[in-house]
Amino acid sequence: MSVIKLKNISKDFGKGISKVQVLDNVNFTADLGELSLILGPSGSGKSTFLTIAGGLQTPTTGTVTVEGETLEKLSTKERDQLRLNKIGFVLQSYNLLPYLTVTDQFALVRRIKKIGNMSQEELDNLLEELDISQLVNHYPDEMSGGQNQRVAIARALYPNPPIILADEPTAALDSNRVKIVGRLFKDMAVKHHKAIVVVTHDMRLRDFADHIYQLMDGKLTMER
Amino acid sequence: MFLALKEIKHEKVRYGLIIAMIVMISYLMFILMGMMLGLANENKAALTTWSAQTVFLNKNANDNLGQSVITKDQLADHSLNKHEALVGQTATVMTRSKKKAHKESVQFIGLDAGQYIAKDNMPLVAGRHAKNKHELVADESLKVKGYQLGDKVKLNSTAENYRLVGFAKDSQLNVAPVVYGRLSTWRELRGAAPQVVASGIISNQREGASRFKELAHYPIAKFIQKLPGYAAENSTFMFMIGFLMVISLVIIAVFLYILTMQKMPNYAVLRAQGISARHLIGATIDQAVILTITGICGGLVLTLLTAWLMPMTVPLVLEWPLIGLISIILILLGGIGALLPVRMIMKVDPVRALNS
Ligand SMILES: Nc1ncnc2c1ncn2[C@@H]1O[C@H](COP(=O)(O)OP(=O)(O)OP(=O)(O)O)[C@@H](O)[C@H]1O
Ligand SMILES: [Mg+2]
Repeated sequence: MSVIKLKNISKDFGKGISKVQVLDNVNFTADLGELSLILGPSGSGKSTFLTIAGGLQTPTTGTVTVEGETLEKLSTKERDQLRLNKIGFVLQSYNLLPYLTVTDQFALVRRIKKIGNMSQEELDNLLEELDISQLVNHYPDEMSGGQNQRVAIARALYPNPPIILADEPTAALDSNRVKIVGRLFKDMAVKHHKAIVVVTHDMRLRDFADHIYQLMDGKLTMER
Repeated sequence: MFLALKEIKHEKVRYGLIIAMIVMISYLMFILMGMMLGLANENKAALTTWSAQTVFLNKNANDNLGQSVITKDQLADHSLNKHEALVGQTATVMTRSKKKAHKESVQFIGLDAGQYIAKDNMPLVAGRHAKNKHELVADESLKVKGYQLGDKVKLNSTAENYRLVGFAKDSQLNVAPVVYGRLSTWRELRGAAPQVVASGIISNQREGASRFKELAHYPIAKFIQKLPGYAAENSTFMFMIGFLMVISLVIIAVFLYILTMQKMPNYAVLRAQGISARHLIGATIDQAVILTITGICGGLVLTLLTAWLMPMTVPLVLEWPLIGLISIILILLGGIGALLPVRMIMKVDPVRALNS
């Protein structure tokens, strides 16, 4: 079943001669249980694609549907709720609050979304798997870029959303860790029945993907 | 509260500075308020002790008891009732004769020993009431300054010797200690003509202007407002306190604005993660309130320490209801100061989170 569906999406920035079309009639669906990989060079519109899919910005034309709900019909508040409950974002930067320790990053989630989160045991296992369980009392500025990225991945998975949207989640990771994260995403998709969409230019993730797309000149083409 | 507290805890220096600023501002406000009330008290304490409700002066006295004289003629057809007392006031220099000669500016108050103030409204902290013209009772502040019962003193440059036999409670007028004596002494100090009886009449009842037609009539509140310098001092203090409130509002608003601006990328991420703008606004207002409350507590501690440890020329009068009121206004202003960043938070664009 497709939980997230983009239909005839186009996105322009600017007007007149300075107008750029970043996305050109893009169609995309993601199913539960699958890991989709969208590859494209820098500036090709990967982040734009992901923010539109997650309801952070509206497309110029076209519709986005998440679990059967058309995003453009939702109020700001309903869209907040949808993101909170249905979508885990792993963002390209500034993922973590600088003044919260790793433990408190999760505590903050618990304060806002009170039910349906991972159990403490599941969280401990996740941190173990990502090799960050020794960092729970660290602040973001006391960790490396790769460690921050892995905490951000755990932060996105913790509320148990059916959909994960990840923007360059492996940019700061070495090949070994890329494999761990790739396998984790694959496991999450298969075992926990989630739809995982990763936009990246990291070819090392190809091996784990069920579907691979190329984003180029505003066009999205399916490779497999 | 969670976000607010965690952030303050992590950014101790930053928030410490803001709190320090609020501590200093609220301290200054409390001290100014204390000084204002202290000064006001020194202006009028004696009137309160006398339970004065109505004052009658000469019509040409320019509202000033010390400059007023009333004559036998003006009283001709009236005799005073038991709620009324003749009072003669004059600024006087009192000189202690023995030990180190010591000069003191005082307000001499001449009374009739048989009238209500001398009989009932002159509570003493030490000694006794005067039995004759050569005995004086002085305000307790002179006791603190080292005067003792039995001290021999002279008034102005008259040759006469007087003896201090008692110290009176809360007896200050026009920011000077009161020294109580007889009306006849007042007449001598004043060099007044024989038909002059006193400066004015004080009553502990509300009386109408018709009571003494030849005299100017003042309800006590009006009389106090007309005390030399009283209204001007008060409005100066009020102006300073009011302006400090505006300054604290601006400081809180500016600091929170700058801090919020720096946190915009973080807030964008939180918005992207589905955390509502309301929650973030709540955190900012919580923070403003925590900062002001902490600052006010610090200011209070400093104020109490000051009142307790520091000898002041003007004693601080700390009135808790007023301090409470100032504190509440400060906290409200802190909340208002947080409204400026609130507008920014409402406009946070989560897309920014991904594009930086
Ligand atoms: N708000 C905006 N206003 C104008 N142009 C924008 C805006 N957001 C993105 N763009 C443009 O859209 C294009 C795609 O940007 P996007 O961030 O989606 O690229 P990307 O594939 O994520 O790049 P990278 O790999 O570097 O993150 C870029 O040319 C960018 O300049
Ligand atoms: Mg990008």
